[in-house]
Amino acid sequence: MAWFTDRHFFLLAVAVYGLSAAYAVFLWRKGFRRDDHVAYFLLLAGFALHSVALGKRGFSFHACPVNNLYEATTFLLWALVVAGLAVGLLPRLRFLGAFASPVLFAVGVFALMPSLDPPHGARPEFSGGLRSLHAATILLAYGAFGLGAVAAGMFLMQQHDLKAHKIRAVLSLLPSIQRLELVTARLVFAGFVLLTVGLAVGHELPRPEGASFFSDPKVLWSAFLWLAYLELLVAHRFFGRSSRRFAIGVIGVFLFLLLTFWITNLYSALHHP
Amino acid sequence: MSVVVIGLSHRTSPVELRERFAFAEEMIPSALKSLHDSGIADEAVIVSTCNRVEIYAATPLMPDAAFAELKKFLVAQHAFDGALGDEIYTIPEPQSLHHLFKVASGLDSMVIGETEIFGQLKQAYELAFQQKYTGARLNKAFQRAFNVAKHIRTETNIQRGSVSVMSAAVELAEKIFSSLAEHEVLVIGAGETSEKTARALLSRGARNVVVTNRSPERATALAAELGGRAVPFEQWPDEFEKIDIAISSTAAPKHILDRAKLEPLMKRRKNRPLLLIDIAVPRDIDPAVGTLDNVYLYNVDDLQGIADDYLKLRQEEVARCEKIIAEKVAALLAANRF
Repeated sequence: MAWFTDRHFFLLAVAVYGLSAAYAVFLWRKGFRRDDHVAYFLLLAGFALHSVALGKRGFSFHACPVNNLYEATTFLLWALVVAGLAVGLLPRLRFLGAFASPVLFAVGVFALMPSLDPPHGARPEFSGGLRSLHAATILLAYGAFGLGAVAAGMFLMQQHDLKAHKIRAVLSLLPSIQRLELVTARLVFAGFVLLTVGLAVGHELPRPEGASFFSDPKVLWSAFLWLAYLELLVAHRFFGRSSRRFAIGVIGVFLFLLLTFWITNLYSALHHP
Repeated sequence: MSVVVIGLSHRTSPVELRERFAFAEEMIPSALKSLHDSGIADEAVIVSTCNRVEIYAATPLMPDAAFAELKKFLVAQHAFDGALGDEIYTIPEPQSLHHLFKVASGLDSMVIGETEIFGQLKQAYELAFQQKYTGARLNKAFQRAFNVAKHIRTETNIQRGSVSVMSAAVELAEKIFSSLAEHEVLVIGAGETSEKTARALLSRGARNVVVTNRSPERATALAAELGGRAVPFEQWPDEFEKIDIAISSTAAPKHILDRAKLEPLMKRRKNRPLLLIDIAVPRDIDPAVGTLDNVYLYNVDDLQGIADDYLKLRQEEVARCEKIIAEKVAALLAANRF
């Protein structure tokens, strides 16, 4: 079984996420009327394979496996699944996993591109407890933001159906829009706290000679992200920004994160010394 | 000995005839006794509700003879001297068991899937059981009917959803708000439907009701009845900061709430969701209000549409329920002890 690497496990996990995404389409067509646990168990199966993949890679260099884009992306997805499974324990929020699975599948396929996973030595140069904590908290934050975006998507769908007087809104087993808004806000807040901790830990890490925080694209990008989420939370909490705009903002910022995080990673001297 | 059914229901007879054949609860023990003593039925259960009067009997007679005797019994019990055509139906075994299961499951009810009949049937059975007019046949048949009804309730969507305007409004509120316990309801115009809708919301946990009406006396009386408070009609916009659900049913000839009026109120509410239920005709609320963020506006047609859609869905479920019933009846008949 030595030929069966962590990438193979991840490939299987992505395949299960694909099945889950296909099942999500079926659930959507049926109007989310019946909670048959299939979506949740598919996600759980994908999570098990995904965890093995991550565990194998992590144990191979005794550190949190976030040393290249493949590893960072798989860790991000893993954080998203963990959050999805945890929230899905509440029966009313079980469909969150079904909404998340298309994102997991799409990003998982992207992560499998071989160029994202260049080989490195048995033990990467930039490992260590603090670095692992920095990477793990930030990627968990991305996971929370991702799930927040998924909840925001559910909110927008339910809100649209309620406004358009579609019977599906009443028939579905989706939670009330007020609860969805609360879940979105809490996930974004949790992500924001994790991101803050992650960035604070990152500030304490030793820098390569001559590298500056304030000219590093990844640091600037992270600061922008931090400000964007802060603005979303403050405007929603204290300035009465409408729930719809808040939800669109959460989805928009997460899409930006998803589409740009690998570019900034590539150009960051701090992250690619 | 076979189980047969004779009776009349909303499907076969008008209310004027059904009420002539209705059994008052105190009449039933003596009616059961005469059925038993006359030898028509060894076991019997009499079901008498506003929509049906039925006798379920385990009889030693051949079905035709049993039906003739049961019909005579029904007519004699109520001293009925009018003409009867197809209003009274007779059902032999095994269709009688199929009918019993359908009645217990609400499939034969006026509102398909309603659950009230289940309780009424259970009450009728318990009365006959306590008086010892049921035996092995009817006990088994009724127990099985109750089990089948529960099975159908959990396995199908036959009882899902609201089939009245009031309950559709409550269901909508529960799709918008996490818990009604934190929300106040404003009733603008103390009409009958708005009162019923407010009552339905209160029964599902709404925190409080505020009533306003052009006639303050009527507002005060309704507020007292609902355990809420009344406010002068001119002051209802001031309540919008506190309430989250408004039911409007005034007799105003034009809109009493429009976009220009609501927009500043929504800002004061810090964009909390607001459910507006407009059951007035002509409408009290300008439809343009529904385009505002966090405002959910439903008029009486929208609510009726939801109720109708639910009814359609229930009708679609009937075939599934019928299949389950056919299987359960076959299993009951196959059981040696029946």
